Amino acid sequence: MNFQLNEDQQLIEQSARDFAQEFLNPIIARLDQTGEFPKEVVKELADHDFLGLHLPADVGGANAGWVSYVAVIESLSRSCAAVASIMNNHAMASYAISYWGSAAQRNRYVPALIKGDLIGALAICEHGPAPGIGPDALVATKTEGGYVLKGTKAYVRNAGVAGVYVVSAVTDAHDPNALTAFIVDSNVAAIKVGEPITTMGLHGCPVADLVFDNATVPEAAILGTVKGAGEIVRRTLALASLGEAAQTVGIGQAGVEHAAAYAKERVQFGQPIGKFQAVQALLAESATDCHLARLGLRYAAQLAEDGQPFEAEAAMVKSFLARLGSKILVDTCQVEGGMGYSEAMPLPRMFRDIAGTTLLDAPADFPEQLIAASIA
Amino acid sequence: MLAKVKRFMSILTAEQQEIKKATKEFVAKYVIPHAAEYDRTGEFHQYIVEAAKESKIFSMCVPKQYGGLGYDALTQAVVLEEWGYGCAAMGTTLGVSPMGQYSVLIAGTEEQQKRYFERIVKGGLSSFALTEPGAGSDVAAGRTTAVRSGDDYVLNGSKCFITNGGYASIYVIYAKTDPSKGAKGISAFIVERERPGFTIGAADHKLGVRSSNTVELLLKDVHVPAANLLGKEGDGMKIAMKTLEMSRPGIAAVALGVAQRALDECVNHTRKRFPDRKFPPGQMLEFRLVDMQLQVEAAREGLHYTMSLRDAGQPYSEESAIAKTFCGDVAMAVTTQAVSLMGSYGYTSVISKCMRDAKIMQIYEGTNQIQRLVISRALLSPAPSKPAGQKAA
Amino acid sequence: MPKCLVCYKWTLDEKDIKIKPEDLSLDVTRAKGKISDFDRNAIEEATLLVEHQGGAVDALTYGTTAVKQSLKDVLSRGPGRVYWIGDNSAAKADAYVTANVLAAAIQKLGTYDLILCGEGSSDSFNQQTAPRLAALLGLPCVSFVLKLSVEGGTVKATRGLGDCTEVATVKGPVVLSVLGQINHPRIPSLKQVLGANKKPKQEIKIGDLGLAADKLQPRAVPKFERGFVTKRKNIIFKEANAAANVAKLEAGLATEGLQ
Repeated sequence: MNFQLNEDQQLIEQSARDFAQEFLNPIIARLDQTGEFPKEVVKELADHDFLGLHLPADVGGANAGWVSYVAVIESLSRSCAAVASIMNNHAMASYAISYWGSAAQRNRYVPALIKGDLIGALAICEHGPAPGIGPDALVATKTEGGYVLKGTKAYVRNAGVAGVYVVSAVTDAHDPNALTAFIVDSNVAAIKVGEPITTMGLHGCPVADLVFDNATVPEAAILGTVKGAGEIVRRTLALASLGEAAQTVGIGQAGVEHAAAYAKERVQFGQPIGKFQAVQALLAESATDCHLARLGLRYAAQLAEDGQPFEAEAAMVKSFLARLGSKILVDTCQVEGGMGYSEAMPLPRMFRDIAGTTLLDAPADFPEQLIAASIA
Repeated sequence: MLAKVKRFMSILTAEQQEIKKATKEFVAKYVIPHAAEYDRTGEFHQYIVEAAKESKIFSMCVPKQYGGLGYDALTQAVVLEEWGYGCAAMGTTLGVSPMGQYSVLIAGTEEQQKRYFERIVKGGLSSFALTEPGAGSDVAAGRTTAVRSGDDYVLNGSKCFITNGGYASIYVIYAKTDPSKGAKGISAFIVERERPGFTIGAADHKLGVRSSNTVELLLKDVHVPAANLLGKEGDGMKIAMKTLEMSRPGIAAVALGVAQRALDECVNHTRKRFPDRKFPPGQMLEFRLVDMQLQVEAAREGLHYTMSLRDAGQPYSEESAIAKTFCGDVAMAVTTQAVSLMGSYGYTSVISKCMRDAKIMQIYEGTNQIQRLVISRALLSPAPSKPAGQKAA
Repeated sequence: MPKCLVCYKWTLDEKDIKIKPEDLSLDVTRAKGKISDFDRNAIEEATLLVEHQGGAVDALTYGTTAVKQSLKDVLSRGPGRVYWIGDNSAAKADAYVTANVLAAAIQKLGTYDLILCGEGSSDSFNQQTAPRLAALLGLPCVSFVLKLSVEGGTVKATRGLGDCTEVATVKGPVVLSVLGQINHPRIPSLKQVLGANKKPKQEIKIGDLGLAADKLQPRAVPKFERGFVTKRKNIIFKEANAAANVAKLEAGLATEGLQ
């Protein structure tokens, strides 16, 4: 068993680190302050082949595998998790279309998604207790030649900049589990992007509701099969959670390194505070949680890459980080004391960013349910 | 209007219950509606000091004989929890304000107390300046000096991270009258805002409690009369430590308010998102909310016990440290859990402000690591054998 | 259509090296390898040249067996093939040995229009490889190259010499060493990283180079390797006012020999 990245993966990770240093570091502060979508950086990601990293060769992807994918996301997140978030959401949309799309759908969307000419987004979550339930649930009603979509998708990442959305909707009013997935172009008139929603961190990755006001989509927009979205949603969200875990680990690692360096320099009571066990405890726990999460993540990514069942392992990493991810920044900010609370330093931004990568959004299932089912 | 949440309370007197109710109403009317906006801009919430003038709540620690409300410790905790519930930044302004007042209560002559409290009772804010860039946890490493010159002391140096510093009208500033003596060389001085040479420096843009005013103070040849020295030269460290002992539980109360707010927001949102018994939240979500409540309740009881000890004139130094540590850690844990549990709603609503605000509770008023140092010494020091549960006199 | 050869060194990444406080010895156990910094510039320069004008870029390296880790890395940066000599003799090799080995290898590989190196390696920075190679191969050498252009068989190089620049023109094969300012190496794209797998990597056995034993004996032998740690004096001036502190600081610096 080898927990190390292989040669190719190491080179890819190094490229991502170099990319982050060259293209992300210069924009981090400005991005956090303005929240402006970093179009140029996304184009650079495309030019360096990162947007097709995870996609199969027959759609023009690099087919580098999920282990490389999470290594790249982690590397980018060490600098700027907002950009990693944009990439992860985009990548999940392009993945869904590549994996379940018809030849026509793949040809139409995937090359442009890989080139960065088109931004993708997943629109799965809703405000109700579960997708398909509640007054705002997105419902697709059969009509002549297609479907009429009505309802709202909640907190869609990349909303407003995306040119294409992969959307799940209930197609049977009596069965909330009868979900169908659609590929929807953003320029459909009856689709409105809601007001931009201010997030605690990850500024630069736009978030908004997506409101469907009786939008008509053709039959050809169905992704996969009618009522077949269950598998699409489950698998795509499991892969998305690998990317989110990678973001969390990346931010956490950056926090640990910054705090450790600070602890070497900051002198109180006549010594660098890193010499005090109290500080060592904070750093050690943070480093440990980050390290173990990374190993669990790599393992789940390897299973996914090998075509093995991986959803339970991905859920375990998600569960671990939902409980302990933010704690890494709670503790590393603590090491830096008053300075760790000042936005002039980088840790507060990382604190705000990491809180947004470990959200237990929806479907209202908790990862623990999946895990328990897998071991029953 | 937030839905009512049943809360278990320590046994408050009728008067305390009235004060709690009135504070709650004030906070709902004046604090909550504007908290988000002040958090967004980071501008100091001057309006709330104005709005609170009539209630004299900023004089709650000032003894009645000087025109203040003279609230006992438990009442103050009740008030500060409500303010923390509404907005931790405003709670900080109110909760930290007494610190300078405590220093004066601890070591001031009657004349000094009268002078100092007069400004507070008239509506002014007070500020406590101990921290310096090189002296955070290590108070003894301070470099601000006070040199005797005739009937004056001349103060030189700088302070940082000073709450209310930009808006206070009167300060207690700690400076070394004898730099060679380390902690024993620190003295405490009353400094009025208008003293020449005293300037307010840059304000800090913070992760949370953003509309709380946190500034540098710059002292260049600031003359204060010898009559402004609190106690004797060299008493500073003792006064500062006693001040912190008194003020810590107040900050713990603010932290508690933040935790309760986060919990209530989660409960309300959960009720809204899962209105139908057919699709319940599920035990995982429900029980995690309960776990949050368990922590908040335990924190409250510990805090109220600490305040009761103080009101009974009993020693409470260790309990003060315990309350501050526990309430701060609970606030951080509960708000972190709240953001994660409520998903994107948590990340984009007041719940995320609660999480940002909670972080400072583990840092200021003595970091929770310093608190643990203090508590560990008390815990592990060889004590005369006494059965567990009995407090040493 | 110039045929280029770039010689590069696989060194330890200095940011991973820790200095042991007890005896100032170096702890390299966690140090990862990297292509020496200025060699990366040399690789990029050759690659750019060939992208514009056609031709070919080969890479050549001599190091311990660890050098195998460098092969895909270098191939992802532009060269079409890499020749490598992995031998334990490299652990103690000095500039003399290195140049002997590389020159012998180059003589076997054939004629190149340009042979490029970095101005010096990240670890020893001897700056001797290029001049020695040139001498051994009987070729001209142009060092400190800041700017490079090739037209037909003529090479024009601008040299950065500290307080001035000098332009040298050379006809025919030449050995060049380049400075870091010559270019900004691009980040290999994923396609380049994954494409490195398909490019040829050819081992050259040191025994096949026909070098006499004394040519492999280093002439410069290091006595010891120690880390350098800035020792802080931690002197704090605690006078009553700033002017007095500055006076003390001035006096202190003068005592240390700083004027």
